[in-house]
Amino acid sequence: MILLLWVYSFVGFSPISQDTIPLTEVEVFAPALDRFAQGQKVISWTKKELEDFQGRSLGDILQEQSPIFVRQYGAGMIASPSFRGTSAGHTAVFWNGLPINSPSLGQSDLSILPVSAIDQVDLQFGNAGALLGNEAIGGSVNLGTETDFGKGFRAGISQQIGSFGLFNSNLSGGFSSNNFSSNTKIYREFARNNFPYKDLGQFGTPEVKEDHAQVEQVGIVQDLAWNLNPTNLLKASFWWNKTDRMVQPVMGSQTNDVQEDQALRVVIDYFHFGERSVWNLKTGFVHNELLFNQSENTTSQYFLAGDWDQGISDQWTLKFGARYTLTKGDLSTYQADDNRIELYQSTKFSASEQLSFALNLRQLVYEGNLAPFTPNLGMDWELWSKESQTLQLKASLGKGFKVPTLNDRFWNPGGNPDLLPEESISGEIGLTWNKQGNVNWSQGLTYYKMSVDNWIIWLPKGSFWTPENIKKVNNQGLEYQGKVNGNLKLWKWELITSYSFSQAITKEGIDKNDQSVEKQLPYTPQHQANAKFKVEREAFSAFLSTCYVGERSITADNPRLMPSYQLFNLGLGYDKLQLGKVYIPLGFQVNNLFNTDYQVLYLRAMPRRSYQFNLSILL
Amino acid sequence: MKLKQLLWASALLSVSFACSDSGDEKPLDKYETGILIMNEGNFGTNDGEVYHLNPNTEELLPNIFEAENSRPFAGLLEDMVLEADRMYLVANTGKVEIVNPADFKSLGAVAAELDQPRSLAVNGSKLFISDYGPYDANYATPDSYVAVVNGLDGGVVSKKIEVSNKPEDLFSYGNYIIVAGSEENKIEIIDATQEAVITILDLEASPKQFYAEDGILWIYTVAADEVKFYTLNLSTLALGTTYTAPVANATSKIAFDGDDEMYVLTSSGYPDYNDAVVNIDIEENSASVTELITGSGFYGIGFDDERDQIYVANSNGFQRNGTITVLSESGSVIRTFEVGRGPSGFLLY
Repeated sequence: MILLLWVYSFVGFSPISQDTIPLTEVEVFAPALDRFAQGQKVISWTKKELEDFQGRSLGDILQEQSPIFVRQYGAGMIASPSFRGTSAGHTAVFWNGLPINSPSLGQSDLSILPVSAIDQVDLQFGNAGALLGNEAIGGSVNLGTETDFGKGFRAGISQQIGSFGLFNSNLSGGFSSNNFSSNTKIYREFARNNFPYKDLGQFGTPEVKEDHAQVEQVGIVQDLAWNLNPTNLLKASFWWNKTDRMVQPVMGSQTNDVQEDQALRVVIDYFHFGERSVWNLKTGFVHNELLFNQSENTTSQYFLAGDWDQGISDQWTLKFGARYTLTKGDLSTYQADDNRIELYQSTKFSASEQLSFALNLRQLVYEGNLAPFTPNLGMDWELWSKESQTLQLKASLGKGFKVPTLNDRFWNPGGNPDLLPEESISGEIGLTWNKQGNVNWSQGLTYYKMSVDNWIIWLPKGSFWTPENIKKVNNQGLEYQGKVNGNLKLWKWELITSYSFSQAITKEGIDKNDQSVEKQLPYTPQHQANAKFKVEREAFSAFLSTCYVGERSITADNPRLMPSYQLFNLGLGYDKLQLGKVYIPLGFQVNNLFNTDYQVLYLRAMPRRSYQFNLSILL
Repeated sequence: MKLKQLLWASALLSVSFACSDSGDEKPLDKYETGILIMNEGNFGTNDGEVYHLNPNTEELLPNIFEAENSRPFAGLLEDMVLEADRMYLVANTGKVEIVNPADFKSLGAVAAELDQPRSLAVNGSKLFISDYGPYDANYATPDSYVAVVNGLDGGVVSKKIEVSNKPEDLFSYGNYIIVAGSEENKIEIIDATQEAVITILDLEASPKQFYAEDGILWIYTVAADEVKFYTLNLSTLALGTTYTAPVANATSKIAFDGDDEMYVLTSSGYPDYNDAVVNIDIEENSASVTELITGSGFYGIGFDDERDQIYVANSNGFQRNGTITVLSESGSVIRTFEVGRGPSGFLLY
């Protein structure tokens, strides 16, 4: 059915393009992430801001534009996020409100979440076990697609050509009336990744070309929305993505591994709008197939959820919800099912315009086992305001949890069905100063402290590995986020900066002699910073961005440190080239401007300078 | 770690001292005395390395390959073989690095055409490298081989001799290369000139390591509840007496002390994962077995004949650097120190 609608909406656009019904542009309703996220830090990228990252992956945005460290296993290879010194499995990832982390691995590979497929990215920092559920310990990544009513027809093609065999093609089309909206994206992203690098694993360290890192990714995204009547809305989204990768070997290895990842995600939302209330019934399906060489791992998840968001008064808002998840795993070494039910409740109290509180509660039950009960209390308080300036305080305290993954519990051999969920407690406090004027300022500083207990690690035991609830890790850090923008004659300019200091210290290790106790976790830089300076004048725009990643160790006891690195990217754009009714935005980008030789992870070669041309044709 | 090198090392020491007189003023014995500690490294990280220990001063030099060559070893170090005045560092990630044993400076490599090399032997001017071959869909290795390279300083693989699955240790004698075929319980004998398997001997347990003494090649083999020591007469290439010791859960790790005594690592596996160091003493036709110490995470074993000390390596779960515990022959702990990632064997001069 979805496919049929898609064919209609895509193929059938030209005859109705002269629609005479006056259309009013309205964004289709989507529940806001921050509605009950008082006290929590959230940073967002809109569709427009994502344009600078066309043809790249979510991992690139997070690395270059946020305080998150992305562990990249090579060009286009697995990229896993680390929020605030936690591990990849401590990041929850959602797509249109549906959790999409692999249930067998308990994490997501950011490389196979292409920017082309999404319209909105929100990062939420710190524990959000109560608000969002499982795995939201270090933070969460919330991806969304957007639809609008009343926009008529749109269509576009964009093409990127770049160094190392980059060849990306995107096709998008959409139609929306006042009551119906359809949006389609089709993409193919290809990179040969035959970049040169100095092979440290070979006698004489010759300069060689990478010959086993080719990536091809194709996908379709379809969004539909119907205004059934003024009080009822139906939305559906569909995303199919398939990635074929040659797995880039670590230097010194001769592996020829190949990996195919396929994901199908479907979500259907029904909203009923009442008097100060929104009812949401949500159902979804996520199917993941991972084929590593010839070893196949398949999981399917079925979701059914409902919640009720009710404003009681101007001060009080309540939300009640429940979600049922059935996971069926058919992995290369085991088969397992998992049933989960979770109940959640949120309360918001707005004491005044300046002061509001949120209390979130959640209890998850998996296969009859209680996950830790997770409460979270948060506060937003506008401490001070004067003319064009405000000072806002955010504070929150809460818990998070991670249910052991299917592999943790059932992998054969080694899976440990007796594992306990990981449990975390965290608090944060942040101050943000905003000033509006000829030059607008926004400067924020956040301090957080967190402790993760029952941290699961896999250890070799005899001839195989098995996971245990062993470690305890304490994290704390400071995050600075700044933005300044203004106008200088005809030029618009903007500077975005961030810096993070992150300590993630092992407090309890494998045994009493563990040398990693009191040391920083592996691959967790203490210092990280980035900045982006952008200027625009009429149709012309340019940006220069940089990111710095500090030293990090490759093992928990820190005997070997990897050097820090700093990369620069440069972009130029011109978006007013027009032929009749057709817009032709042009872009040019240089990544790793100064040709820096670096590794994110030990002995994983990364590309040096590369060029990318973007050409789009928009109707 | 191939403890046959105990023997070879002592035999070669005189040779290498004699040959290294090249007018170099540098002290000859930087790495040629003492104990080399092989650190396998962590899977996916390729941080295998060699540490050098002076057992008299207890001075430990870390990462000597990287220190001497200004580049990381970049591999998982499976075996160290001292033959033909060269140190062969066999990485199961698909390469063999060849260094001068005196200063660990790189001399060459076998960098291509290998899959999962396990060990190496030199015959004349040829290198023979045992290799599991690539994994198939079920993580089996049906295409195992012994690769041949012409040239003691490495080069290209000129031939792959098909052998039974998962060949481990190799032993070169006369014109022959003797192969421990670990998965199918076979000993295969390769004619080094013809570069072909000429004889296959069937065993009742999985052969892991060779150890030569007085014209007899000892073959250490492992079965579920016992270990067997086969003997092979090197002049007739015929099997002789077999000694059986009731050691359950033995691993492939063994150290020979040269007096018909051996030290074997055992691991009970799931669910208790109890590891132990077991002493096996062969007297006449019987073997007595004594458990010396128990623990968890044991990953390599060596024996220092000069000081009568046992070296036990612990991988510490590969989460961090490993540790070495030095034991007396009776199993009492003498000292413990930290080395590199995944210590798995020793080469004692």
